[in-house]
Amino acid sequence: MTIHMKRLLIAFLAATGFATSSLAADDASVKKDLFTVITLQGLPCAEVVSFTTKTDNDHMVVCKDGNRYHVYVNAQGRVVVEKQ
Amino acid sequence: MMRVMPVVANLLLSLLAGCAGLPSLAPSAPLEPVAPPTSAAAPPSSAPAALPSPAPAAALPQAAAPPEAPSPSPSIAKAAPPTAPTPPKAPPPAASIPRADTPAPEIAKPKAPPLDLASLEQRLKSTNAIGVLTKLTLKNQVDDLLDQFRAYYQGKLKTTLADLHRSYDLLVQKVLALLQDSDPPLATAIVASRDAIWGILSDPKKFATI
Repeated sequence: MTIHMKRLLIAFLAATGFATSSLAADDASVKKDLFTVITLQGLPCAEVVSFTTKTDNDHMVVCKDGNRYHVYVNAQGRVVVEKQ
Repeated sequence: MMRVMPVVANLLLSLLAGCAGLPSLAPSAPLEPVAPPTSAAAPPSSAPAALPSPAPAAALPQAAAPPEAPSPSPSIAKAAPPTAPTPPKAPPPAASIPRADTPAPEIAKPKAPPLDLASLEQRLKSTNAIGVLTKLTLKNQVDDLLDQFRAYYQGKLKTTLADLHRSYDLLVQKVLALLQDSDPPLATAIVASRDAIWGILSDPKKFATI
């Protein structure tokens, strides 16, 4: 019984670990994407430290150097980066 | 056995976490390569050129091979006459003979870099090396550049072809900087097609067919 419980616990922890790491990878890829977009527009950003997602293509971004940007896709399909 | 299980479990979990965490370590440096992309892109161009199999692969070996072949052959051809009188150098002339046959195709190959715009476009759309927003930004910038060319050929934009070429080069370098680490075969394909694309853009008649 104890062994069975331990196996269940291990499986649960492994699944949790996978989920956490994949979420972290997603987060990192979005940060990278936002960083690239900001810098492609010629705007300064040392590193994206955090972001909040309003809708699918609408993010508020905070850079390590203190810059904040609103990155979104407008109605014309253009990626817009606005300094806040 | 009961005491070993937690240890094994911990080891397993730490291994899983470690492996899963590896890809997230790489995200940070897409910008720096903007300046040296051509030099950085050049080395991978020869290596992955042999790897890709799809349509552009046909383009790559031809585009990548010629630069290697031409440089050695002239030097060897020049070196061959002095070495000819010396007896022990029989193998080098043997090697130079087939290379001496190659100059004719060498001249033809650089002139005919196969250009498959549809394939390149599809590969750019489907690559995982660039995020969605980045792809959209690049598409915006490509559209802007095409608008500039259109306006230039219609006489509405006061600029020079050299300025447009500079803008084109800058845009290509941005794309290469984003691709060269994460998708080297695609970066190589773009490098191979770079001049051919410029050939279309810089020719009003060809540009009108886009």
